[in-house]
Amino acid sequence: MQVRDYLLRRLALLPVIMLGVSVIVFTLTRFTGSPVGIYATPNMTPEEIAALEARYLLDQPIPLQYAAWIGGLFRGDLGWSGVSVAPVTEVIGLKFAATLELAIAAGLIAVLAGVALGTVAGVRRNKAPDHGARMFSILGASTPTFWFGLLLLVPFYLWLDWFPLGRSTPEIFSSIAHPTGMYTLDALIALSPGAFLDAIRHLILPAVVLAFGAMAIIVRMMRSSMVEAMSEEYVDAARAKGLPNKVVIRRHARRNALLPTTTVIGLSFGFLLQGAVAVELIFRWPGLGQWVTSAVLSGDQATIMAYVLITALIFMTVNLAVDVAYAYLDRRVVLGE
Amino acid sequence: MTTKTGKMGATSPRAPRKSAGTVKWARRLEVGREVLRNPLTVIGLSIIFLFLLMAIFAPLLAEPNQPDPYQSPRDWSNIDSPPGIAGHVLGTDSTGGDVLYGIIWGSRLSLQLSVTVVLFTLVFGTIVGSIAAMKGGRIDNLLMRIVDVFLSIPELIFALAIAAVLGPAFSNIILALAAVFWVKYARIIRGEIIKVKQAEYVAAAKVVGDSSWNIYRKDVLPNAATPLIVQATLDMGNVVLIGATLSFIGLAQAGLTEWGALVSAGQSGLLAGEWWVSTFAGLAIVLWALAFNLVGDGLRDVLDPKTEGR
Repeated sequence: MQVRDYLLRRLALLPVIMLGVSVIVFTLTRFTGSPVGIYATPNMTPEEIAALEARYLLDQPIPLQYAAWIGGLFRGDLGWSGVSVAPVTEVIGLKFAATLELAIAAGLIAVLAGVALGTVAGVRRNKAPDHGARMFSILGASTPTFWFGLLLLVPFYLWLDWFPLGRSTPEIFSSIAHPTGMYTLDALIALSPGAFLDAIRHLILPAVVLAFGAMAIIVRMMRSSMVEAMSEEYVDAARAKGLPNKVVIRRHARRNALLPTTTVIGLSFGFLLQGAVAVELIFRWPGLGQWVTSAVLSGDQATIMAYVLITALIFMTVNLAVDVAYAYLDRRVVLGE
Repeated sequence: MTTKTGKMGATSPRAPRKSAGTVKWARRLEVGREVLRNPLTVIGLSIIFLFLLMAIFAPLLAEPNQPDPYQSPRDWSNIDSPPGIAGHVLGTDSTGGDVLYGIIWGSRLSLQLSVTVVLFTLVFGTIVGSIAAMKGGRIDNLLMRIVDVFLSIPELIFALAIAAVLGPAFSNIILALAAVFWVKYARIIRGEIIKVKQAEYVAAAKVVGDSSWNIYRKDVLPNAATPLIVQATLDMGNVVLIGATLSFIGLAQAGLTEWGALVSAGQSGLLAGEWWVSTFAGLAIVLWALAFNLVGDGLRDVLDPKTEGR
């Protein structure tokens, strides 16, 4: 199939799947009955509560409620977030920017370190570095993110006090403008090295914790594709030409081994989104994950629904982008199989 | 004759096993021997065995608390005691709950969680995936779009939303995970069946006039099931990891002897230097997941060598 046709088909399917996600999310939240509790106050009379239900169409049949919700979605109205005491659409951008900054930082760490470690392991197959890398990746897949975060918190926050909790120091936060909501980027735009350092200091520890699980997947994939690449004829040919080992590994083997590794980047991004829930909770990072945990514990349905929708949208977009990138990098790929 | 077919079975693991049952068992024995040759798999199996013993003999290892053994007994005279104090080998938490008691009775909950979720999702996913692959056409298309919808939300996030709606209880965590994990199996078995269906022995069975149910039962399913076994083993660990995350967030009952909930109970103490509650409880989760990951990887290397190390 042509890459362009495949891309168009996937793009056409995206709204269909999102519709499916919205139906599931909506039905799910209606399981427990009317969400009026989050809008009502204890001293309201039954009549006032009934009026409130009528106002939000909660007395209507479920399909009508769904239609109203979807209609609101298209008008940019996702309801009222009880935990943020503001409309969902007003706060979701800020939360999204916070999580995106964390996920990008963690993704960068995971890809850079994962590729490096996987390369070494693949080249020195069945030697000490390989065993180390395999053990590392299996530990990464077995360690709960929340526990790993707590373990790092004790030495680096409690004892050494190298990295603070939260996203920034309040005085520094208010000293610059925040057009993007990603504090490192905002600091760069404001040309403020102080604010940049402050943002980085807050970012490092949660990003490292978040990167661990995703890194495990990348190390694993990079190692096995590196093993495969090292046994290919083009590597022998490069060696026969008398090229130094470093060049053979970097230019010939690693470049080809990177291709299959791109396929797991989409998958590992799912791990980043999942892991962000626990990491944000532990490091008091005010992103989507922390937002949804407080919503979950207080039964704030509008927030939960918006969160699941936006996560599904991000996850699908990233996976689509990875597929397309892979197809362009490796023209032998036949998509849609 | 039997030795010859036995050898053939050993070199091509997907060969149809239409012949005598002895060959089947000889092959299984051989797989078992090969699996046990990997020391890491043996370590994994030993850890699983120890956890099983712990779960089975929990009432002997730690006297059950009445009326609910899954709530730690409270020793109010020994709050936040470090490990080693008399009666509390691994110390106590901020409400006097014994950490060792929590880990022992928590192993029962982890076992219950993983066995229930993996068994249900394995069976349900296999049914859905098999129907899709065997029927094909519109039914396949419809079922796979549903699978796509489920796959578009990361597992933990989907389970979090479901558990949140159902309310905080351990049984709801089990339900939420069961609702999410079947999709993977449906997708794996569908792909395998479509591959196997093209094999000559399936065509031969059709020519002979076998019913499609018989072909599915005798020729297709046994030859397509291998990747499911590997995935199910890995999921025995994954399910506990995600379940622990949900109860860490606060979706299990308060004071439950579940490992994630224990880590959460130790969280506040951790920053006051009381490291033992969270550390030991988390270590139990890591060991559990590690054991199943080691065994799953070992099984994959033997049963499905094409994807070795991936």
